Amino acid sequence: MTIRDEVRSAVRALSAPSPAEAEGSGKRAGTGGTTSDLTIDETLLLHSAGWEPVDLVYGISWWSIPWGAWQWTTGEVQEASGAFAGAIAQAERQLRESCERAGASGVLGVEVGIRVSSHHVSIELTGTAVRRVEADAHRFEFVSDLSARDFALLTRAGWWPLGIAAGASFVVAPRRSAREWASQQGQNVELPNLTQALYLARERAMERMQRSGSAMKAEGIVAVKLREGRASSSVRVIQFVAIGTGVHLRTGEHRSVSPEMVVPLDDLVRGFDVKSLRSAGGE
Amino acid sequence: MPSTAGDELPEAAARRLRPGAWSSGLSVADFASCLDMGMDPVGYVQGYAVLQWSWFMGTGGMGMGMGGLGGGWAGTPQRRGQYVEQWQCPHGFVSAEHRMYGANYELTWIEESWATGWGLATGRMLDEAKALGASGIVGVVDEMRPLFGGTVEFRASGTAVAVPDAPRPANPFSTYLCGQRLGKLIEAGFAPVSVVATLSAVRMLGSCVTHYQLAGTNVGTWYGPAAGGVSGVGPVDQVNRAEAAARSLARERVRGQLGADILHGATLESSEREIGEGDLSIQCTLKGTRVRRFKDFDPLPDALPVVRLT
Amino acid sequence: MNDDNDPAEERLPAPPDAPARTGQLPQGLPPDASRRLAELEDRPGHKGMFTSDLSVNEFLLIKEVGFHPLGFVMGSSIYHLGIQTRKWSQSQELSKLTEAMYEARQLAMDRMDAEATELGADGVVGVRLDVNYYEWGSDTAEFIAVGTAVKAEDGRSYRNRQGKPFTSDLSGQDFWVLMQTGHVPLGLVMGTCVYHIAHRGLGQTLRSTGRNAELPNFTQALYEARELAMTRMQDEANELEATGIVGVRLEEKSHMWGDHTIEFLSLGTAVARSEGDFTIPQPKTIISLDG
Repeated sequence: MTIRDEVRSAVRALSAPSPAEAEGSGKRAGTGGTTSDLTIDETLLLHSAGWEPVDLVYGISWWSIPWGAWQWTTGEVQEASGAFAGAIAQAERQLRESCERAGASGVLGVEVGIRVSSHHVSIELTGTAVRRVEADAHRFEFVSDLSARDFALLTRAGWWPLGIAAGASFVVAPRRSAREWASQQGQNVELPNLTQALYLARERAMERMQRSGSAMKAEGIVAVKLREGRASSSVRVIQFVAIGTGVHLRTGEHRSVSPEMVVPLDDLVRGFDVKSLRSAGGE
Repeated sequence: MPSTAGDELPEAAARRLRPGAWSSGLSVADFASCLDMGMDPVGYVQGYAVLQWSWFMGTGGMGMGMGGLGGGWAGTPQRRGQYVEQWQCPHGFVSAEHRMYGANYELTWIEESWATGWGLATGRMLDEAKALGASGIVGVVDEMRPLFGGTVEFRASGTAVAVPDAPRPANPFSTYLCGQRLGKLIEAGFAPVSVVATLSAVRMLGSCVTHYQLAGTNVGTWYGPAAGGVSGVGPVDQVNRAEAAARSLARERVRGQLGADILHGATLESSEREIGEGDLSIQCTLKGTRVRRFKDFDPLPDALPVVRLT
Repeated sequence: MNDDNDPAEERLPAPPDAPARTGQLPQGLPPDASRRLAELEDRPGHKGMFTSDLSVNEFLLIKEVGFHPLGFVMGSSIYHLGIQTRKWSQSQELSKLTEAMYEARQLAMDRMDAEATELGADGVVGVRLDVNYYEWGSDTAEFIAVGTAVKAEDGRSYRNRQGKPFTSDLSGQDFWVLMQTGHVPLGLVMGTCVYHIAHRGLGQTLRSTGRNAELPNFTQALYEARELAMTRMQDEANELEATGIVGVRLEEKSHMWGDHTIEFLSLGTAVARSEGDFTIPQPKTIISLDG
């Protein structure tokens, strides 16, 4: 069947009465009312790995930070990292509950939205709940920010996701003393206090991420992203957030994926047959 | 291709189809894909609606925008099934600054206005497509923008296409997708039915505890947790419930519109506006294309992993 | 001859040798870093784990060539970059700044290396060198080096001739392809040159030259600067006794100094042939069906 035939079938099907409660015959289709944010490519890849999307799920949590936490410290702001840890744990719990309620085994493609303001940290997690196609019961297995594509590849190699590992630290950059400032003018020199402060903040964020990985008994954390930037409106406060997916080997051995090397012969320009405005190669 | 209708004609007339002259909002690649698929563009279609818009409309003494200090809220649900939750002050004292009540409630008039606006705009777009004899509309773009002083404009546009040799559906289909992505969707066995969108809006009128938490005040030294003390770092329950409610309302409303069909390519976006201290309004939009399975589904064979040498 | 634009009068010496570091952090890793790295390792009673900032594709590919990730490693250095006085009518290298840029990056990389060594790594892949400018420090920049430390699963040591883990800014894909061709990475090599292009001479030159003509002195100046950067990079590769350098790129940045002062940074990965015979596998040709 060519794509044109498929399109005609599709449009024809729209004129038929809508299948109110009837399930599609043959291979299992998605049940009605399903909402999915996966692209069609991802949906197909997921299916080829034996999984299907079930529903869009989310978890959102705001945690408060007391006033003054940012003001009179230099170095790390413990309240902010505490609030971050609390908020992400609560959001992940909600995500898991949504997943279980939807009758799914895991959540993929989780987008992590983090907002920090002077009085609160809010974490928003949105993803797609998925389950195995040919299975009767579904117990909860994982939450992950891996895309469906990465999930299909990793699981083929024997590695399975467990949960999202995350850690954050917030640091108020120390000021230089007047004497330090004066002696460093015109010099090209390292600033040890600042270096130390930021370096430690990064290490702490990574360490907390590692701890959250151990808590879920992960053998490793893949696709770690270390985001850094300004937190809140104060320019001296910098936040470091490290997020990745905790994974483990289910069968005990890594399975090789054996890729092939290819040389693509595509050119960037596609030829058009000008007369009919169809691309060269037609049907 | 540019329309050959003259520039002096009003827009409505310029949109009228002249044989051979049509315009399309598709990019060249998407246009080529459409033709490949056997969908012939027949015209660029649009629909507009301008609505009066205010956060503080509505009946029923809901403490409009005044922050409801000290009990200016007499909560009566606007309609059955509306989301409403109330909080009472657990502390022992009352003051001008200390709220006795807090509440989360659904802003049903906002939701209805939005549904009206969006519905009118997309409805008019579909009417134009029908007038052109189209089978459906691809590459739909919908927007809402403020105009001036308390009005907003809803706009929906897309490219109407005709599929020859297939009966025209009574209502043209519509989808946000176009080009290759639409082609793959159909090859996978899904037929686009219509664009679906909903907005949910929840107002969070902070109780005293919430207010303290959002202002970062530490009330823990005055009261223990049992008496409603706030220790500084902790979940802001009222906000969390409002956020969850906003999303769940959006999702349930969309689910109700789907029947046995599936929502594909969903995007869930939310935003908060601070109306006053300890007052938030949370909006959540959920959009996607409603699709229907029209043939059995053959899963792809296992993909072959490759490393490209470029 | 307009002598406003004489090139630098002397050949400047190469940047200081690797060992003479003048960073002011205490030798060895700070306790927080050691602790974090220790948690990654297996110990009696404690199961370690790996962390990796490689994408899933890259992770699978490095496993294919027999390497396993150990942990995400990083090093950083915040440097105050003082502006030395310039002779405005001369185009020349600003050697103090060159040294500073080199030193700052080297400090960051050394700290990253120290973390990798602590983990017992054979090398670090996917190294990224970034520069951050924070608003609160004028003339201050933070140099960061991050990567994923890896270890060979066959027990062979891949450390380079200096006994340090190899570093490479190759992606996982490029690493896999390189190993398929029978080469191993030795280390990330870099050369830098901060060059100032004369101000005052420019206006006169433009007036005195015809339209649309080459400005030979400026061409010469920039050519010189790039060559200096690349030569220094080459020297580092020679020290490692490399067969060649792959993935060379030349970056040009003005940082916060304005248009007339540019840093030329040349980066690449030094490689050497690995032992044993290799037949390079024949790649397939394909036509992709994506748009």
